[in-house]
Amino acid sequence: MTEIIDACWDKLGIDTSPETIQKDMANMRKLPPEGFDAPIYYDHKGRGYAYSDPDYELGGVSLSDTDIETIRESIEFIQTIGGSRISEKFNHAMEKILSTSIEEFSAGNTKQAILQTMNPPKSRGFEHFDLFYKACREKTPVSLVHYSYKKRNFSVLTIHPFMIKEFENKWYVMGFSEKHNQIRTFGLDRVFDPFLLKKKYIPVDKSTCEKEAHDYYGVFPIPNQKKQGVKIHVSALVTNYFEAYPIHESQVIEKEANGSSVISFNLIPTIELTRLFLSHGYHVKVIEPKWLIEFTENLK
Amino acid sequence: MKSKTSEPILFEIAENKDLADNPKVLRVILDPKFTRIDFGYNATGQYIKGGWIRMSPKTYVEVQGLAEKFLLTETTGITIAPKKVVFQSVKDWQFFTLYFQPIPQKDCVINIIEEENPTPDDFNYYGIELKMNEGVGILQNL
Repeated sequence: MTEIIDACWDKLGIDTSPETIQKDMANMRKLPPEGFDAPIYYDHKGRGYAYSDPDYELGGVSLSDTDIETIRESIEFIQTIGGSRISEKFNHAMEKILSTSIEEFSAGNTKQAILQTMNPPKSRGFEHFDLFYKACREKTPVSLVHYSYKKRNFSVLTIHPFMIKEFENKWYVMGFSEKHNQIRTFGLDRVFDPFLLKKKYIPVDKSTCEKEAHDYYGVFPIPNQKKQGVKIHVSALVTNYFEAYPIHESQVIEKEANGSSVISFNLIPTIELTRLFLSHGYHVKVIEPKWLIEFTENLK
Repeated sequence: MKSKTSEPILFEIAENKDLADNPKVLRVILDPKFTRIDFGYNATGQYIKGGWIRMSPKTYVEVQGLAEKFLLTETTGITIAPKKVVFQSVKDWQFFTLYFQPIPQKDCVINIIEEENPTPDDFNYYGIELKMNEGVGILQNL
């Protein structure tokens, strides 16, 4: 017993008593979920406690107070960003974790929510999230019906999806489209009745996936444009926002004496990028490239 | 590509000037238990608020060369007459699906018949060719 007490002090920094150790061992002997069904017995010969099964180990994961607090915070965070942004499958998994957490971590104090994120109502097409997730993970082609809002046209497409992307609470699937013979992005809101197909998958190389992940602000690239430098002139007021919330990893701000700035990016220009510029009105003016000045003007 | 099977087979219907394009026939799925046909419809300016759509309960599929009629059993996205899906604007649109009794899973040409003596408002389609070697198996249960 003295050795156990010393070990608790040495390894855990806990100053405990023989009574507490006895209670802990009694709890360890209990059947789950109260205990661990530990085969503890008193070894008269060795004058100490031992496991009758030498291979026995405590199940589960040992959690420190910091671990438990971190898990609590993570659960709260996931609950906050959850709702319509997480699919039913993930919600179900999260419910299981939460129900476990109540049993394991309940401290008896229910906290008031202190995190809030935008949690819009469920959008059309989000019900396909799980199917596309599976298709990307298992590299399976998908047949879908797509409706173009702009062209007012239905089309049937076979795509080879590799990425699901969220941008401003809208969800998209990216994949190689057989009809277009190139990688395309489709808003889930415009996709109907996708089916997984028994067909050979056309893979997309890793560099393309990286490009999709890093070279865009937004989702829809402006056709036939490569990665390039983009410069804007920004008022002093709106410079504060770009400083606080950089929109791309390539963003560089060169401030002028009056607080306004020239901000440069190196990316593939997208529709969303030009919309962002326009949303700031006269506070943002495109300087380079020339074609983008015209393109943005035409969007007004 | 399938030739002999009991799994659902999906056919993309290519745009065809001989087929009516509104509603547009999009896909045909031959399942051992049913025949499924997907359509897309754009409301038009013929009516101030886009009008309405519905399907006759007597709609059927026929396979050219066979006397049998494969009857409409179920719909999604469109109602069976006399009920109507009523649009609110001329820019509305609707994706809908019709289910029929199963047709044989083999090369065939089908017609979709809503009215045997159709008016321009009825949805009749003739000569939709399904070649089994152009169909693709579906991995999930429908």
